[in-house]
Amino acid sequence: MGPAVSVEGLSKRFGRVEALHDVSFTVAPGQTYGLLGPGGCGKTTLIRLLLGVLRPSAGRAVVLGRPVPSPATAAVIGYMPQLPALYLELTARENVSFFASLYGVHSRRAVDETLALVELADRADSPVSTFSGGMRQRVSLACALVHRPRLLLLDEPTVGIDPRLRVAFWTYFQRLNDEGVTIILSSHVMDEAERCRRLILLRDGRLLAEGSPAELRSQAATSTLEEAFLAFAGNGT
Amino acid sequence: MSAARTWAVTLRIVRQFRRDPRTLVLLFAVPIVVILLVGYLLRTSSGGIKLGFVEETGGAAAPALGALGQTLSEAGVTSYHLSRAEAEEQVEGGELDGAIIVSPADQGAAISILLEGSNPQRSKAILRIARQVSLVLSTSSALPQALPEESDLSVTYYYGGPDFDTIDFQAPPLIGFFAFFFVFLLTTVSFLRERTAGTLERLMVTPTTRAELVLGYVAGFGIFAVLQAMVILLVTVFVLQVEYAGNLALVLLLVVAVTVGAANLGIFLSTFARTELQAVQFIPIVIVPQGLLSGVIWSIDTFPRWLQGVAHVLPLTYSNEALRDVMIRGRGLLDEGVGLNFLALVGFAAFFVVIASMTLRRQVG
Repeated sequence: MGPAVSVEGLSKRFGRVEALHDVSFTVAPGQTYGLLGPGGCGKTTLIRLLLGVLRPSAGRAVVLGRPVPSPATAAVIGYMPQLPALYLELTARENVSFFASLYGVHSRRAVDETLALVELADRADSPVSTFSGGMRQRVSLACALVHRPRLLLLDEPTVGIDPRLRVAFWTYFQRLNDEGVTIILSSHVMDEAERCRRLILLRDGRLLAEGSPAELRSQAATSTLEEAFLAFAGNGT
Repeated sequence: MSAARTWAVTLRIVRQFRRDPRTLVLLFAVPIVVILLVGYLLRTSSGGIKLGFVEETGGAAAPALGALGQTLSEAGVTSYHLSRAEAEEQVEGGELDGAIIVSPADQGAAISILLEGSNPQRSKAILRIARQVSLVLSTSSALPQALPEESDLSVTYYYGGPDFDTIDFQAPPLIGFFAFFFVFLLTTVSFLRERTAGTLERLMVTPTTRAELVLGYVAGFGIFAVLQAMVILLVTVFVLQVEYAGNLALVLLLVVAVTVGAANLGIFLSTFARTELQAVQFIPIVIVPQGLLSGVIWSIDTFPRWLQGVAHVLPLTYSNEALRDVMIRGRGLLDEGVGLNFLALVGFAAFFVVIASMTLRRQVG
């Protein structure tokens, strides 16, 4: 099986600002990759390029064997934006089943199961406007999962979620990996990054380093990822 | 093209509406209140005039004035008989809108008029009455009756009828106007919300196509626009008792054509607003000129030439003419006026669909 995602020389300019500069990497299927870096380093731009909502200034991305954008892959990608993009007047169930039907999933069971997974079964019929930030984040994740995608693109999925549920999310991500689902998520939290199989360190739109957390630590000869990140960032400038 | 996805978008809009009672009130109660008010005001605008008669001919003009007073009271004008001094005082004090003084002259009688003068409509009405008085008095020693009765004249109405009021002329366009106004406002705001909340991006990365999204939106808002049109129609026909000669299905078809245009214009313009306040700022640009120039209140053929040109690039101009043709004149879709105006509406709708779709590209930047 080929890589789930491969990116070659990807660059993106917004006017005079270069949000992403000559980034190349490949993502093996069935693993969780973390895009790690401070705010404004290009994580969200990279995710939106992989989704095909942005057109690259240079380079190309191939997702699940097809060049981006491809209508055929749209159906098997799940996307969770940074802000929980939901319809606040609608209930959790209505939000999830709306996105489910856009992906061609019409089974009530799929919706119920996904809601149970994010532990919202008991609040499924309350309007999202009454939910806390963390609960909205969970509805948003449910909307990205309900059609059982083969690739999940999650932009800061664990922001605002309490530690107990964060652990539950990671357990679930592991289970999805075991089922062959590839996950690419962005984060700026270093300790969370330890849980990813591999990491892509980004700063100022440039790829600093790529590897497993252990590899990155030993390459930089540091004991924590945070120190490793600083070491790579220092080398880059 | 998937009907299921289009339906999902439609169902979502219907659900959002159901959870939003304020919008429902806006959609149904506001047009009813406005149309009832307009109807009430148009029917009573000629009334309420208080007019004094000063008769100084020693009773010679009294029978004629008495008969005229009778006719006037039926038209809602209250008349009083008083002395010149009283009349002057009361007109100046504003208790009377005007007074008509009949004084003796060499041959018959002379008429002079006192006007309070601040309300030009009432002043004009009183001048008209004064002309009638002079007509009556000049021909009258022998003619005690005020005016030739309408029934004495031979009148043929091609459309409308003797009981036809201004509201009968203005109710049909109001149906199109309200459909356009609310659908435009609601799509602009809800599309803006989709953009700012990020749900639009989320929609665009699903397999949903632009056509499915636009069609779902049009159907969702179209359902409410058609319901609104039926409610307005019921109120105008049964409460205001407006004359109605038309074909309901054709009225609704015209409303749908208006709705498709309005929804897509809203989607297009929502791109140019960042906040809901900015979206509301499109109302004076898009809605007000159409309210003034599309012939809802004033007929377009009375406009100067250049304004007529402007009126003909406004979609509501065509819906107004078509709705009047259908509702007042009872014409059908195959009659020339209705058919061409309907085609113009379809043309506008198609144009707005195209420009709206251009703003909905999957890829940006």
